[in-house]
Amino acid sequence: MDISNVNEIGKHKLTQHYEVLRELGDCYTSVGNYSQAHRCYEKAASLGPDEPGPYVGLGVAALQVGKLDDAEIAFRVACRLDARCAKAYAGLAMVAQQRGEYPQSFDLYMKSLELDTNNITALLGLFQVSCEMGSFAKVIYYLQVYLQSHPGDTSVMFALSALYLKDGRTEQARDMLQNLLALEPANQDAANLLEEVEHTLAGTEQR
Amino acid sequence: MANPLGETAGRSHANETASKGPLVSVLVPTYNRRRYLPGALASVLAQTHRNMQVLVVRDGGEEVADVVRSFRDPRVVFIDRKDNRGKPHSLNEALSQAQGKYVAYLDDDDIWYPNHVETLVRALETQTDCRVAYSDLYRVYCEIRPGGERVVRSKYVEISRDFDRFLMLYFNHVLHVSLMHRRDLLDETGPYTESLNILIDWDMTRRLAFFSDFHHVLTTTGEFYCPLNESDRISDVRRRDSEDYLRNVLTIRTTTPPKPWPKIDELSIILATDRLDQEIGQMLMRIWRHTFYPYRLYLPLSPEDHSRLDCSMPNVVVVPVRPESSINERVDVALRRAEGKYVAVVPVGLPIDDMWIEDPTYAILHHAKGREGFQLEGTGDGQWGAVLSRADLEWARRAYPHLSIEASLMACGVKVRPPRLEELPFQFDEMLRRGKLAEADGDWSIAARLFEQMGQRYHNELWMKTMAARAHYEAGDRERAGRLSREVNCIRPTIDTLLLEAKVRRQEREFAAAIRLLVAAEQGLSGSANSTVMQPVTGVQRGQTVGGV
Repeated sequence: MDISNVNEIGKHKLTQHYEVLRELGDCYTSVGNYSQAHRCYEKAASLGPDEPGPYVGLGVAALQVGKLDDAEIAFRVACRLDARCAKAYAGLAMVAQQRGEYPQSFDLYMKSLELDTNNITALLGLFQVSCEMGSFAKVIYYLQVYLQSHPGDTSVMFALSALYLKDGRTEQARDMLQNLLALEPANQDAANLLEEVEHTLAGTEQR
Repeated sequence: MANPLGETAGRSHANETASKGPLVSVLVPTYNRRRYLPGALASVLAQTHRNMQVLVVRDGGEEVADVVRSFRDPRVVFIDRKDNRGKPHSLNEALSQAQGKYVAYLDDDDIWYPNHVETLVRALETQTDCRVAYSDLYRVYCEIRPGGERVVRSKYVEISRDFDRFLMLYFNHVLHVSLMHRRDLLDETGPYTESLNILIDWDMTRRLAFFSDFHHVLTTTGEFYCPLNESDRISDVRRRDSEDYLRNVLTIRTTTPPKPWPKIDELSIILATDRLDQEIGQMLMRIWRHTFYPYRLYLPLSPEDHSRLDCSMPNVVVVPVRPESSINERVDVALRRAEGKYVAVVPVGLPIDDMWIEDPTYAILHHAKGREGFQLEGTGDGQWGAVLSRADLEWARRAYPHLSIEASLMACGVKVRPPRLEELPFQFDEMLRRGKLAEADGDWSIAARLFEQMGQRYHNELWMKTMAARAHYEAGDRERAGRLSREVNCIRPTIDTLLLEAKVRRQEREFAAAIRLLVAAEQGLSGSANSTVMQPVTGVQRGQTVGGV
């Protein structure tokens, strides 16, 4: 057929099928249908063999159903395809965390956050691992960095308040919780923690 | 050689099924695409409109008789020719046996969805007075694996353009595979031009446009393939020869069907010259090369100059004049021979470039109010040229033959002015170009605004909504992107718009809706081609959740 002004082929025109499958995999993952997610990611991986995305998805799906070895393999493939894939490192960190390998998990979360300070999964994972290990300084730093670009994220505000409290920075914890409750007045966990913080501060003042 | 069994059976079948809607002759020329021919033929024979005569023409190349016979369908007529004579010859050969009220075309590597013929027949029979209709098709970008398998990367409805006659004269915007027309139109257009080796389809659609409007059916009814890692299309290979390409373009532009033309008003160009020299020769060449509107050129020459003229340019009418005739007299003599409803008076030395005559011609066709003509660009400094209605010019010359052309028109109250910007042709294309430039520069908001305006002002609404939706999404206006893509999906969903709406829904955490859209898109991409008829997506409600999860 003859159409004289044949357009140049944009990159998105080469990746549509891949993109549909990856999006579908992500949606199935979001609703907890991991077998369908797995099927979609596998097809996406065959269409985009150089893309880390489907392997991250395969890793997440495997992780959710407890197949830690499969998850690790998938995340490692993603890392090999893209050495700067923050999600793949976060995935590996989650695998290590689930195996109870906290120091390794900590390092992998840190690596993920170095590549993407906005990676909330890595951030909250780091928080959990830090609580297990009793080491908070680095987590506090990353949580603060994250909040600079996501100032209304109440889950991170809560985590940071808890860390401030554990680190003895009680007034900072109180301020953070007050800000959180201004945004989310019905947050009972935050209200309880604030009560605890104010109790601590009152005791300090009495002394 | 025709297959006697198929031909006879095809005719009797045609009679038997006359009550099942009109007979449609489907033309399938094939040359060295044995691998893809079964898919193409299967898609034809799976049409919901059953009353068809399927004319398969082997234009030499690989043997395909076994492929064709394997279908064992009495509607198939097989013309098995060993020598390769080209696509236009094959189409003419098939047409010589065509009996349908309508004619449709399929290339041997493309496919129709089962609704293709039914959709176009219904449109032509019940929805329009047009004698030509066309639908939308997916351009399928695919990778060819070593064994020849096609791996689909994407499917886009890239061309969904409403019919525009002026544009059709300039280039083809209707895919032949999506076209259906009445067979009797070919009595008016004439057969396919066998001297062409590319742009064969455009040659025919251009000529069809002289006789009928085209009805655009906003339904996707098939696919044509665009391999990413190779192009085996004969026309693609031949296009790389720029001289040959130009030869074909000029042949098409200067070949006009027999008159009368109910839909085109011919333009008579009168070259106001009193000599024949190198400058005139060059002007003629430039007119030939840069004019696409159908014209006949009138050249007033003395017998001596006429005898020196060696012109292979088509559509030139030499008008004999006395050697001592003035320019005005020469124009008057030529005017008496002119047949066009419109006349262009062109002075020697006028710059001739693309759109030189089309701009004022379009203005007079679409924007003239009362007795009004339009100047040619470059007019001034003693040169005067314009496009006028022949009736106005004849009247002015009869009334004031002693005055100059310009003065006689003025004396008769014919106003001649330059066309205004908004009166020029291809406004839509100019805005589209600007929109695409904005996209390329990353100015997505500007692109989105332009595309939306274009949809409102210049038809092509669905196409522009699709482009605007994408641009809005890239600009970060997801709400608008979602709304526009949803509007498109309710009428004519495409993979692209389903994916876009799904992305927006997912970001709004409406996962069930997103999944439904994406499943539809995935089926469209990977499902069996013959079952891929996408229905308007209207059943997904905002906030709907997935049952059982």
